[in-house]
Amino acid sequence: MVTTEKKDSLSEQQKYKIAEPHDLSPRSKWLRDCYFLGVKREWNNEYMPFTTGLLEDRQFAESDYYIVPEIYFYLGIKSRGIFSSSLSLMAEEVELPKDFWSKSLPERRIIFFEKVMLDKIPQEIIGPELLAGGRFNTQLSKCLNEKEQKLFDKLNLKARNSVFKYHNHGFGNAGATSGHIIPDYEYIIKNGFKSVYNEALERYNKFSQKEKNGPLGDELRAIIQASEIPRKLAKKYAEECKRLANDSNDETRKQELEQMAKNLEIVPWEPAQTFWQAVQSLWLIHMLVIAEESYPGPGLSFGRTDQHLWDLYKKDVIDEKNINKDFAKEILGSFWFHCNTAYDAQMRVGNNGITAGFGQLMTLSGCGPNGEDLSNDLTYTILEVIDEWSPILEPKPNVRLHRNSPDKLLDIIVDMITKSQGAPFLLNFDERSIAGMIREGIPKEDAWDYACVGCLENTMQGNDRSGTVNCNPNLAKSVLLTLNNGKSANQNQNVIMLHPKEKKPIQMGLKTGIAEEFKTWEEFWDAWVKQVKFQIKYTIETYNISEEFRANWMPTPYLSAMVKGCISQGIDVRNGGPEIRFITIEGVGYATLVDSLLAIKKFVYDEKKFTIAELKEAMENDFKGKQEWVVMQSLLKNRAPKYGNDNDKADILAQQVMEIWSQECFNYKTPTNFQFRPGMLSWNYWAGEDAGFTPATPDGRIGGQFLSNAISPTNGADIQGPTAVTNSVGTVLGGKDEDGGYVNYLPNGASHTLTFNPSLLRNPELKEKFKAYLRGYIENGGTSLQINILDASMLKDAQINPEGYQNLLVRVTGYNAYFVSIGKELQDEIIAREMHNM
Amino acid sequence: MANSMTGNIFEIQKMSTEDGPGLRTTVFFKKCNLRCAWCHNPESFYPEPSIQWFSVRCIGCGTCLKVCPDHAIQMKNDGIHIDRQLCSQCGICVENCPGTALRKLGEEISLDDLYKIVEKDAAYYLNSKNGGITVSGGEAALQPEFTAKFLQKCKENGFHTALDTCGFVSKKNLEKIIPFVDLILYDLKEMDPTKHKEFTSQSNEIILENAIWILNKIKGTKKKMWVRTPLIPEFTATKENIQEIGKFIVEKLENKIDRWDILAFNNLAKDKYHRMDLPYPCESLELFTSEEMDKFLQIAKETGVKNVRWTGLTQK
Repeated sequence: MVTTEKKDSLSEQQKYKIAEPHDLSPRSKWLRDCYFLGVKREWNNEYMPFTTGLLEDRQFAESDYYIVPEIYFYLGIKSRGIFSSSLSLMAEEVELPKDFWSKSLPERRIIFFEKVMLDKIPQEIIGPELLAGGRFNTQLSKCLNEKEQKLFDKLNLKARNSVFKYHNHGFGNAGATSGHIIPDYEYIIKNGFKSVYNEALERYNKFSQKEKNGPLGDELRAIIQASEIPRKLAKKYAEECKRLANDSNDETRKQELEQMAKNLEIVPWEPAQTFWQAVQSLWLIHMLVIAEESYPGPGLSFGRTDQHLWDLYKKDVIDEKNINKDFAKEILGSFWFHCNTAYDAQMRVGNNGITAGFGQLMTLSGCGPNGEDLSNDLTYTILEVIDEWSPILEPKPNVRLHRNSPDKLLDIIVDMITKSQGAPFLLNFDERSIAGMIREGIPKEDAWDYACVGCLENTMQGNDRSGTVNCNPNLAKSVLLTLNNGKSANQNQNVIMLHPKEKKPIQMGLKTGIAEEFKTWEEFWDAWVKQVKFQIKYTIETYNISEEFRANWMPTPYLSAMVKGCISQGIDVRNGGPEIRFITIEGVGYATLVDSLLAIKKFVYDEKKFTIAELKEAMENDFKGKQEWVVMQSLLKNRAPKYGNDNDKADILAQQVMEIWSQECFNYKTPTNFQFRPGMLSWNYWAGEDAGFTPATPDGRIGGQFLSNAISPTNGADIQGPTAVTNSVGTVLGGKDEDGGYVNYLPNGASHTLTFNPSLLRNPELKEKFKAYLRGYIENGGTSLQINILDASMLKDAQINPEGYQNLLVRVTGYNAYFVSIGKELQDEIIAREMHNM
Repeated sequence: MANSMTGNIFEIQKMSTEDGPGLRTTVFFKKCNLRCAWCHNPESFYPEPSIQWFSVRCIGCGTCLKVCPDHAIQMKNDGIHIDRQLCSQCGICVENCPGTALRKLGEEISLDDLYKIVEKDAAYYLNSKNGGITVSGGEAALQPEFTAKFLQKCKENGFHTALDTCGFVSKKNLEKIIPFVDLILYDLKEMDPTKHKEFTSQSNEIILENAIWILNKIKGTKKKMWVRTPLIPEFTATKENIQEIGKFIVEKLENKIDRWDILAFNNLAKDKYHRMDLPYPCESLELFTSEEMDKFLQIAKETGVKNVRWTGLTQK
């Protein structure tokens, strides 16, 4: 296999050098280079569709993508869209056992899954790698018979229509998507899959005959069969390793392959006895989740890996010295390689927002039950691997900081931030995060052991499915509903062309009164409160359709085997099985909403500078066409108090807004018995379609412009520097109570992005000061911080000379993306973002 | 107890990293008795508030013309012009400008209000080594009662305190403030008295005398002194000047200061002068390169002063 060409000299026009991988062993370098060969590689991990052979059989689960509005067009309007049809056309038929169609749906799905993984997909070892587990990007048949398929299609259309309507009227998006969970990997690494198998069998045997014949029995039989798949697959990989070992003339490689075969004969079925086996076990059981869900890994996260693997790392590397640290890093290097091949799924589509931020998250460091720090040598080894492999997208690290985080860790983190354009990890803040976990009902004695999924979403490990990205309401919509007495225009221009009748505003929200007639701010505020509560309810109603649809039709027994609660209850992870069950409502456009309310309060009610009618007229015209509208827009943008400046006037109202919308989420449950909870992630919606669908807002923003991003202030509105915006973020999350205890209204966490100029970190003295800023953030800030160290002129250069910046990583709302792979608009936004130049 | 005493300030800079140790908030006070040719805070020259027009923020609506009671504002092809003779600095135009293109720099702030603002960043001061508050300007020591009370309150709450001074103030004023500061950032700009007068409008005798006086005053206490020297091309940035300042530090200050910072000239104030309709004496000066600053640093180090550093903006 060829390796990538390394550019030693920068092209003449390109002015800046970007971070490069360094100190990689030849093996790790080979694997990294191989990954970046992309479509030029002989081997790849593209989607592989498989069918039962029935005419109407389908593979593509479009409900996974209701939260990706950019691709709605490909999902179809009235029937199957192009994604579904083309995958069906390409699908390879799987020979089914004779009694297949007499089995229950969960069992059928597991039988099909097993057939594909063992018999259809080849088991391959790639180059000099040390971990088996190559191809896993499947598109599996839904395993429905003709009658079921018809009903499925009908219900699918109903779910689609409801979410399209919600979206096209500017409410946001919602859908039951996959991934976004930390399975109980730690338990399986330490106890082996056989423990799960035995537990499931024991549970099944305790069922009454009636239970065995019902859905509980169906699910458990499927889980029991699922529990053996990792063992059977490992055996096949072991055979391949032995074959390669026999063929190998290189004595070292021969021994490696033989050891890999031995490892695979032990794990994942038995407990891992070595560090190498532990990492092998982790990778194999992880990739099988991706394969079962036919979802290439977004948010399927590892949890606190530096804790889970620590005992065996300590034994092998430190105490018994069975392997040296460099070899441990090579094992991890193979793991890094495999994680990234998830992106092969749509490798021919190119680098876009969808393929640039899956988020198989690894949580590092953090506190223990008594606030003590749990960083260990493995934490630092993993950070070294990240540093040496960067820039690279997966696995995405998230470093937990807290009051007792050691200086050593902060030194390394600040150094890594300095070296890279976008910090190669997110920072998560324990005290604020744990307060949120406690708020949602996790006992205090457990909450310290939370970890993050996807980007920054806080969940518990091994027993918690919190549907962390499933509902994404555009909160700015609530103020528009208030201004229009609940009427909503179809804001999707494409849909207007298709359905011209819908151009007229229709009553979608509540009738809260004609805003022009409100006499006082209190009247306006009360109406807004009703509308935002309505919006949460409407979001949940829309979401529940796809949630119930998925629960009934697409169980995942293999994943259920690895999530505590599913076996004991006999219920699938998608149907209410996990011990901890939440669905997260991720508020989008928070600062746009807050700033809009602040502007209305000041100009319409406090100062009476203009009326609601005048404001609405100006908004309808995008503040263009009349001098008075231009002046009004300028006033709204510049003279109203703004969230993000540590200004009490703005932040008190911002905190009220936060409390009202977030508390409302807790009033609802799904039909599958998941509790709704709030968070603020807002992925790319603030810059994508939600922004495009939102007309002018009372904060002076014109129609189609970006909304604010997650919990960050409106772009450019924070003018008091990083400490002020940090204090504001902490304040609106609830600040601290009378006893100094942290409050956090958003248990899921809240994404906060800050961009700093490189000059802030130019010498050791300033690095010390930046550490102090981070320690201040622990006290005053939010749950999650992503740091960009960017020079605006560098980004402008990257826009003009993209070829020189292919590996330039920037952080965009909690996920890493390559700067040149994101759209021009978002690029411009990043450039325009206020640079905190010191 | 509430304190309604007021100070005349023109800016509060949070997360300040360049005015003393740790993370700080720097409060800039109005008024100064020197007129340094390179001053990058010309808005501090006069006690009255100064009204400035920021062209990039102006939408050209003409509101200011209508509301100005002094008829001091005109709109010309190149933007807004304020007749400084007519303008009474009433600030009505500022209050009515939709784009915040007109800004009033300078306000009377009560001690309590000021403290409330700086207190918000306590977590950053207390988590950094000696982080806290710096009073700068202009010349904070020209408002001694307010400055002293303010710093006292900061100290009582555990914040590190620093006074950034040009030294051209009376000992009586310094006497009031020094008990409440942990660090004195002391400017030594030019050793030649004639040149000093030429560059800053005043001779340097009082400044040098005060430096020695302060050093003797803080001797044996935990208080520290840093000397700062702005290196301005065509003005202070000469080998002889650096050597003379070094000699002064070693001999007259007994080499007992904690640190000597030599500060590279920056041209960031250019726009400020234009906005205030003042001539900028450093208009044509270029930034140093980092190599040049390294050379100056070497000269400074050779004088025998301990802990010399350079900082500031340089050419790329």
